[in-house]
Amino acid sequence: MTTPTVGIFGLTGCAGDQLVILNCEEELLDLVGLLDIRDFAMAGSDNDQSCPLDLALVEGAVLSSQDEATLRAIRRRTETLVAIGTCAVWGGVPTIDRQFDRAALVADVYGRTGVHFDTAPARALHDVVDVEYNIPGCPIEKHELLSALASLLHGDPPLLPQCPVCAECTMRECACVLTVEGRTCLGPVTAAGCNARCPALGLPCIGCRGPASDVNVESARRLFQARGTDAQLIAQRLATFAPTGGALSPKGEHHAHDDPH
Amino acid sequence: MPTTIRIDHVTRIEGHAGLTVELLDHRVGTVQFDVSEGARLLERLVKGRRYDDVAPIVSRICAICSVAHALTALKATEHAFDVHIAPSTETLRDLLVRGQNIESHALHLFLLALPDYLGYPSAPAMAHEHRDVVTRGLRLKRLGNVIQEMIGGRAIHPVNVVLGGFATYPTTDQLVDLRDELRRGLDDCQAVMPVIASLPDVEPCPGITTFAALQGSDEEGYYSADTIVLERDGTRTRFPAVAYHALTNETTVRHSHAKHSSFDGGPFMVGALARLSLNADQLSRLAVDAMHRIGLTLPTRNCIDNNKAQFVELMCDTEHALHTVERLLEVEPEWPGSPTIVPRESTGTAVTEAPRGLLCYSLSFDDAGMVTGADVVTPTAINAACIEEQVRWVAGHRRSRDTTELTRRCEMILRAFDPCISCSVHVVQ
Repeated sequence: MTTPTVGIFGLTGCAGDQLVILNCEEELLDLVGLLDIRDFAMAGSDNDQSCPLDLALVEGAVLSSQDEATLRAIRRRTETLVAIGTCAVWGGVPTIDRQFDRAALVADVYGRTGVHFDTAPARALHDVVDVEYNIPGCPIEKHELLSALASLLHGDPPLLPQCPVCAECTMRECACVLTVEGRTCLGPVTAAGCNARCPALGLPCIGCRGPASDVNVESARRLFQARGTDAQLIAQRLATFAPTGGALSPKGEHHAHDDPH
Repeated sequence: MPTTIRIDHVTRIEGHAGLTVELLDHRVGTVQFDVSEGARLLERLVKGRRYDDVAPIVSRICAICSVAHALTALKATEHAFDVHIAPSTETLRDLLVRGQNIESHALHLFLLALPDYLGYPSAPAMAHEHRDVVTRGLRLKRLGNVIQEMIGGRAIHPVNVVLGGFATYPTTDQLVDLRDELRRGLDDCQAVMPVIASLPDVEPCPGITTFAALQGSDEEGYYSADTIVLERDGTRTRFPAVAYHALTNETTVRHSHAKHSSFDGGPFMVGALARLSLNADQLSRLAVDAMHRIGLTLPTRNCIDNNKAQFVELMCDTEHALHTVERLLEVEPEWPGSPTIVPRESTGTAVTEAPRGLLCYSLSFDDAGMVTGADVVTPTAINAACIEEQVRWVAGHRRSRDTTELTRRCEMILRAFDPCISCSVHVVQ
């Protein structure tokens, strides 16, 4: 097994997924022995910005023509591109902008200066380039990142759970936040992998990992509505971390079976 | 001959920022700290959302400061709806804020800033010859994350913080484990202190004239204090935190997605150095001793001293967190139940100290509790004008024509402010 050349990049985002990499405090010094990290601007200053890469980990959403150019350049130089974090996988919280008129938002915020800014509606990586693997999470879970890296080092595809948060919640035997407490918990439609972090604390899932595969968003919507939650609130919450509740294949293609409203 | 120093992407900081310094024959031309991070407009995107959706959305402004954003938004919402906060909740929130500070300062000191001083491109590269300090630095960083996970429910983007308190409270077993980790943390601080003390002196940059921070005793410190103090050339001005607009007079500039702040037309510095400088008379013995041992003398006008100030805070926050946990173990507090939230048409304001300095929130709601307006002023946005001022000073006082050395110094100055670029891109109204 040769040491793969790796680049770690951030487009527009909170840097939380790169921070999760740096938060592997106990593993970090071993990781840098297993990966030949050539380009990681957040952590080092001797970056090679043009060498070919075996693996690129990219966080953040595409929000400007500069982001798009950066992403296309990364795609050209890497064998494997992995989207890390819900912004990269789905567009994340910035895609709430789809519920507004983007130009009006920018004008609202920056006034007349705003017309000079390089800014565009939020997009996920797979909206712009081909993506080999998607690791969702806001932020990504440390254990998922490490196990995905271990798989990739062995030439295997990362194994990520396909089930919704409800499956993990049931395994942990948590009291159901939705049926017992009647709160709008997005566990039924959200990708697992967090071990039901929020429901285990008695809190509703807010969908930060984006939709699970093959979920029935319409059914969940009806369930929430039947329990008296306002339709507008349901729509806003379903579209907080991903613009709509479709499912995503590992290649980044949408399986649309959900209306966008 | 005029020359321009242009750094497209400053490394070892959080986010995307560049620096342009135009060197003319006898003066410095344009100096621009360019924040090119895309505009996510998050504070605008919370408009029309229900009050309990705000903290989870705004915490995404920045991962490193996500606790500060979530807690300040909650504090502003609680102010708007007049929600009573139990003293035990305040204690636990303060502990969480200390955890955030420990993580953030350790990250900056050991992973981002120290390689500059010791001549390495990164912390892992430094680890070959300085394994002990890197290992202890990473352990301190982890300690901050242990606190954030235990109290906040997650190291980044806390989930356990809710209006009025917390969803769940720590168990005695958890607190005992944390106490032991904090004791080890204090040992780690002591062990790395000689390294911090022996850092090669960098040419000082004696240009800071104005500092601002929340003023309060060590007990209320970062979270509960509600008076902002600003000191310019030894003269102090005090503002109630709710009147933060008087201080952070923001304007938009074309070269940056961060708005610039000024007070009476002059930039000011916020962050660890400002906090220590403005609360110098209230520092603990540990802080005074640490300052003496690492060679930090107050008052100072040298922004690079912010690195040393962060070390002093790292140590004091660890000690403070240890005392808090010991007290919680001595007298198990009565944790509050969930308060009833009654939304009303109102505006709430809150100011706290994020790791990089003052973080100001103002949130307006209608009578159904839907957000009608949000204003957020972040520390890096406040510091942006100050960074440009300091870089201009250094460029103006350069002794050699060698731009390599000047570039390195400008980068060190910029890093000393520990800028958080995700934070700096934000929205008003």
